[in-house]
Amino acid sequence: MLDSAPIGVSCAGEVSSVDLQDLILSLSRFWSEYGCVIQQPCDLEIGAGTMHPETFLRVLGPEPYNVAFVQPSRRPADARFGENPFRLGKLLQMQVILKPSPHEVQELYLKSLTALGIEPSFHDVRFEEDNWESPTLGAWGVGWQVLLDGMEITQFTYFQQAGGLDLQPIAAELTYGLERIAMFLQRKDSIYDLTWGGGIAYGKVRHQDEVELSRFAFHVADVEMLRRHFEDWERESVRCLEQEEPLVVPGLEAALKMSHLFNLMDARGAVAVTERVALIGRVRKLAVRCAKAFVAQRERLGFPLLARRGGEA
Amino acid sequence: MSHQFLLALLCEEIPANALPGARRQLEQGFAKGLEEAGFAGCTVRAFSTVRRLVVHVTGLAAGQPDRIEEVTGPPARAAFTPDGSPTAVALGFARGQGVSVDQLRVVKGSRGDVVAVTRRVKGRTAPEILAEVTTEVVGSLHFPKTMRWGAGEHTFVRPLHNIVAVFGAETMDEVVPLDLFGLGSRGSTAGHRVVAPGRIEMRGITGFEDYAARLEAAGVVVDPDARRAKMLARAEMLAAEVGCTVRPDPVLLDELVELVEHPGLVRGKFSSRFLELPEEVLVTTLRHHQKSLVLEKNGRVAGYFLAVADRPDDPEGHIARGYSWVAGARLADAAFFYAQDQRDSLESRVPALAGVMFHRTSGSYLDKTNKVRQLAVELARQAQLEISLEHLERAAWLAKADLVTAMVGEFAELQGVMGGIYALGDNEPEEVWMAVADQYRPAGLEGPIPRTLTGAMLGVADRLDTLAALLASEKPSGSKDPFALRRAALAVVKICAEFPLPLDVLDACHRAVVGRPGGDEAELQAFLQDRVRHYLTNVVGVRADVADAVLTAHWGVIAADVARARALETVRRDEVFGSLAIVFKRVRNILTKGTHGVLDERVLAVPAERELLAAVAAAEIRVAESLDEDDHEAALHALAPLATPLDRFFTEVMVLCDDSILKDARLALLARIERLFLRLADVSRLATEAR
Repeated sequence: MLDSAPIGVSCAGEVSSVDLQDLILSLSRFWSEYGCVIQQPCDLEIGAGTMHPETFLRVLGPEPYNVAFVQPSRRPADARFGENPFRLGKLLQMQVILKPSPHEVQELYLKSLTALGIEPSFHDVRFEEDNWESPTLGAWGVGWQVLLDGMEITQFTYFQQAGGLDLQPIAAELTYGLERIAMFLQRKDSIYDLTWGGGIAYGKVRHQDEVELSRFAFHVADVEMLRRHFEDWERESVRCLEQEEPLVVPGLEAALKMSHLFNLMDARGAVAVTERVALIGRVRKLAVRCAKAFVAQRERLGFPLLARRGGEA
Repeated sequence: MSHQFLLALLCEEIPANALPGARRQLEQGFAKGLEEAGFAGCTVRAFSTVRRLVVHVTGLAAGQPDRIEEVTGPPARAAFTPDGSPTAVALGFARGQGVSVDQLRVVKGSRGDVVAVTRRVKGRTAPEILAEVTTEVVGSLHFPKTMRWGAGEHTFVRPLHNIVAVFGAETMDEVVPLDLFGLGSRGSTAGHRVVAPGRIEMRGITGFEDYAARLEAAGVVVDPDARRAKMLARAEMLAAEVGCTVRPDPVLLDELVELVEHPGLVRGKFSSRFLELPEEVLVTTLRHHQKSLVLEKNGRVAGYFLAVADRPDDPEGHIARGYSWVAGARLADAAFFYAQDQRDSLESRVPALAGVMFHRTSGSYLDKTNKVRQLAVELARQAQLEISLEHLERAAWLAKADLVTAMVGEFAELQGVMGGIYALGDNEPEEVWMAVADQYRPAGLEGPIPRTLTGAMLGVADRLDTLAALLASEKPSGSKDPFALRRAALAVVKICAEFPLPLDVLDACHRAVVGRPGGDEAELQAFLQDRVRHYLTNVVGVRADVADAVLTAHWGVIAADVARARALETVRRDEVFGSLAIVFKRVRNILTKGTHGVLDERVLAVPAERELLAAVAAAEIRVAESLDEDDHEAALHALAPLATPLDRFFTEVMVLCDDSILKDARLALLARIERLFLRLADVSRLATEAR
């Protein structure tokens, strides 16, 4: 384990260098100490941490669960060939799920900022209404965007529904925009000028990959292939869910692949306005089936994490 | 002695758009609940911050007054034997009511005599009632969106963290026990999250002023009006420090007031190179992304802005620096879009509109562009507008092209404005770029209308096309109007009335529907007429019956309809119009009963007929003369001399007589009068008041 990582921002607020990786390590440590499982990213191309089975499935059903992980999030249509200083086709989110949402969740969040060297007593931290909805996942929540001195640094959501199911208990989701926070702390005007760690700039680590991802997403990706695979994975997802004992995670992963294929087709301009809603609906239908299958599966297993919490109480 | 009650709920941050409604509902709910519980004459005021909902009630009694209550029981003949001695039934009733049998009386009930007893019911205490009313009112508050949290058992606007509920006379020291969403009430609360997060005791609190002062000492200004005044004063001070003034933005200020507990503002600045961006882009970027007030110097946007902060100070300058940095990033983004958009001409973007759907039933925006272009030119020809049709056509062709620019992709509210800016950059003629820029004006009842005739014509054609295309599938109902069709129709009315456009809207509806097969001409006309009525009553300010009288007669050239309505509103107060209304009603009634041919004046021999005939002929001339001079009041006055002859005619002449030649001539005379009236207004629609 690391010793308490040195944080580059003193309380007096003089900004010095907080590497992107310091940020990740500090947040991971903070939430680890709180009692979260520190998970690894979902090893598929997905658009947001919310789609990670560790979020989408874990928020379902009665079992408590606290988890945190970094999720590289793919947004092909937002890619800008590495030319735009603020936009990326692949960005990093730190995702925290606290289920049930603790009574003092806002205070906890503010403490996590302190752990990053952002001392709320020297800043303006505001919670402004921003509700979240994912038509692809049949999910929505209520919450805020957190503004630090006018900069949006976190999406804070109380999940109300996922996979079309009403949730109980309610999970709080904190999604830290890591590049945003790093830019703010380092006062850099371009993502590519951020220091990642080890003395290396973000641009040196990722610029070429952004350029290539953009070219692929906008010019190269084979639309026919994407469309074909969309259908293939749809069938595969259905097959997983139709097994005598439904394969929940493989079924969901197939649906997540469809979601990314859709995003690529969209970036390629290959989704007609008229078919957009229908394509999203096909992914949602599977997400909803996965959600139901997951809850049924956990119920068959006797909601194991519920017992654990009970044992502790 | 007069008592008071203070309720303060501390929540997680409540959405700004929920707060004004919540305050209103709290005031109404408490006033109603307390009055129903027998507390008359209370004063209820509600306040809020982004984290608090506060209610203060004064003028409360300590409790409900005791009530005298009469309870009726079994029939008298079952309760008493004929000799008057009580039966088991009477004894049972008395026992049930807790009185002795000799306190029973016999009274008349709806089904004969019954036994009754008068009881004194003890009034309940104010705290008991307040607890009930609070639970009821808070529980039934309506919010735009509610949520659950934690175990998920409760639903409210945001999770609740503390409840203060205190009651008393001079000081409110009695905690009113409450249970809201699993939380109990207390006599203390917490201050501002950063400024003074500690506990604030309510002990010895003397009233709202005291409460507000205690909270203000803890960084919280609970009265939104006070926050607004402080924020405005601070804005002016921060602007003056750099020799600027605040560009007034009351709508934004209203929102900022709801976003905080403390009305703080900081001044940020941005690089002067961004001042080269179009002002609309600058202002929209700052307003949209940062909810910032813009500062100006000599009427032009200066390189500063004011942003909200929920605290009184900026101890290390981080807040101003942070906002400035974000503003720089946003403006750089906008500059990037602006530069990118200018690489291609607006015209070169038009074909891409084929890929942007206007509506699932109605094709693409390219399709719409073609339809609007054709319609606009047709309408301009029809109305014989003195404009260049070439320019109008060009403006219509370019109008929607900005929908596929990066800037409008980012800021939808800049549609039209960007088109105008880019068209100007492409050296389009002034008539063209201004029309493109103004096509969405007016935004509502208040906004300005297009500056040029070409812009007015384009705006009207665009909206008529939208209405013709969408009315069938997206007709507004109640509060649902997702495509803002009412607003579109109202904009047509406002432009036609105020520019004014000499356009016959009925004919225009016909032409618009020709371009949109499936549109219903009559429905479109009725929809527009409804908006004309709305415009007449709400903007022109005429009475509903006046609008009705004008529109039932005929309508279409809206500026003329407005002039007639104004005139009728003025003259209707003349006594003679009361008589005209009544007598014209008779004219219209009788004309529904018979057919009439050509008016043969020779058969009309009765003096009353001859007199009416002469009066009509004279009135016709005067009405025509007045209308030629657009003097609608004079035209209406010209009808007045018909009142007496008409009255005499109906008294002395039998219209529906047996002689069919005579009958036809009389009906024809009345028809001539009807035609004359209806050139101006169907005065039979005027409400006649008893005088």
